[in-house]
Amino acid sequence: MAIVAQSSKFSTFGRPVLAWAVGLLFFFPIFWLFLTSFKTDADAVKPEYLLFFTPTLENYLNMTQNYDYWRFATNSVVTSVFATVFTLVVGIPAAYAMAFNPSRGTKDILMWMLSTKMLPAAAVLYPMTFLTKGLGLFDTHFLIILVLSLINLPIVVWMLFTYFKEIPKDIIEAGKMDGVNTWGEIKEILIPLAWGGIASTALLCFIFCWNEAYWTVRLTTTDAATLSKLIEGNRAPEGLFFGRLSAVSTAAIGPIVVLGWFCQKQLVQGLTFGAVK
Amino acid sequence: MSDRKLPRLLQTPAVLLLLVWMLVPLGMTLYFSFIRYVLNNLRKPEWTTPNISNWRGFGNYEFVLNSKSFILAIQNSLLIVCSILFLTVILGIMIAVLINKTFPGQGIVRVLLISPFFVMPAVNAVLWINMILDPVLGLQGIAVSGINETLISLRSMPVLGGFFSLWPQFEPISFRATQTSAIAVIMMVTWQWTPFAVLILMTSLQSEDQQQKEAAILDGASAWSQFRFLTLPHLGRPIAIVVMIQAIFHLSLYAEIEIVSRGNGNKNLPYLIGEFANNNIGAASATGIFAVILANIVAIFLLRMIGRTLME
Repeated sequence: MAIVAQSSKFSTFGRPVLAWAVGLLFFFPIFWLFLTSFKTDADAVKPEYLLFFTPTLENYLNMTQNYDYWRFATNSVVTSVFATVFTLVVGIPAAYAMAFNPSRGTKDILMWMLSTKMLPAAAVLYPMTFLTKGLGLFDTHFLIILVLSLINLPIVVWMLFTYFKEIPKDIIEAGKMDGVNTWGEIKEILIPLAWGGIASTALLCFIFCWNEAYWTVRLTTTDAATLSKLIEGNRAPEGLFFGRLSAVSTAAIGPIVVLGWFCQKQLVQGLTFGAVK
Repeated sequence: MSDRKLPRLLQTPAVLLLLVWMLVPLGMTLYFSFIRYVLNNLRKPEWTTPNISNWRGFGNYEFVLNSKSFILAIQNSLLIVCSILFLTVILGIMIAVLINKTFPGQGIVRVLLISPFFVMPAVNAVLWINMILDPVLGLQGIAVSGINETLISLRSMPVLGGFFSLWPQFEPISFRATQTSAIAVIMMVTWQWTPFAVLILMTSLQSEDQQQKEAAILDGASAWSQFRFLTLPHLGRPIAIVVMIQAIFHLSLYAEIEIVSRGNGNKNLPYLIGEFANNNIGAASATGIFAVILANIVAIFLLRMIGRTLME
């Protein structure tokens, strides 16, 4: 009854229209980037070709030549994939220990991990440059993988912890009765059970690695430079290259935006550290 | 007990890695902040290598506190963070309440809305400052010149022309300028983070007590008082979390500021540190310590809040 009383004119007509308008408005800049990527550089700045133009793939075909796109993209893929894998390899055992064998200090350790995430990166900019140059690690894939892992480790441990907590302890205990050792427990019982949670944690970690734009810009020059660095380096195209810049930007964000659609829900869990369900 | 030892040891790699990651660079920053350390100085070459004999005490801190750019950077950090927080929370509540009820295409609208959050910050800034906000070639420039042309053609109308000639011509705004670059940064980050607020608030709205709501409706409560006295209190904690998490992310904003104006007119603390770090490492380090203090003040609140809900 209450629902009938509630459905005013606004709910049936106004709400969908307004909601769609807001959705389209927020999506518009991405759509615009995508649309511009099919215009030639000359057409992209002419008002008469704002919406109607002859689409061309030339910007995408020349992406390698104009920007060396694939080198940066390869770096992004390599660093993000390895960083995600490494973070999980370190994070899964840690989260397992905290969820199934908590001690009095577990809560404090989790809190402390989170607090490292809040340390402003800029504060340690120079020491990082100094150290990595001294150790010969500056501008190497290894360094970027390590840094990306470390900045995402707290969030990954937290997310895995909240997933693992949901698994009944009895199942793990039953494994112990059967004489399975700790590695067996993780491999045979925990990972298959928490597979969905682990996968979405990995996906979110990958997205954060891909979009990272402080260390990847400040700790690289050419060899390990990622897409963030590529785009940042072409920040002011003097208006001449909107077409090609749009194409390379679309190629830089496309895969991630699509991946993001699949893990919106995990985002809530990950970024609020399980405090909003 | 011994079969519990190994499982607990499994957290050591993670803990050790983070400990090294946090303590080593931070320790160095602290050390550098107390010595004279510049990268280029011909008259005092001994200052160009870090050495304890170059001890300066709190000199770097004094230097930073007395420099005008530090005060401006603090003001800018706060201006940018507070404006973004205000806008994202208000817009987030409005949009979350709007799309929380089922309507045709709700799933698609959700996907459209969340998309900006996954755009990498560098692309976000390049896209906004060039293709949307550029005063000549961007959509802003095209829109302004379109309006002006329409205005001019209206002036030549027989009767009403006189009326339109009273209207001024519009001037496009350059968002790379000193006075406006902060506005551009606020706009683009708000665009990116409003979806985050919407997502969190919407998730929370779904767990709202529906029975309580129906009771309120039966009692004849208006839509506004339902919102004011039931929904808003329910959203209290998620709003606090949105505020805190965003504060931490936005206090370290960097790429957007670099791309919009290379810091022209709106350096925040991380940007100022980057500039100092080109030469004066002592000052950069002292500024870094101030940034750590600022972030810690924010972080303490967040950790307290999450700590309460952690182990339930």
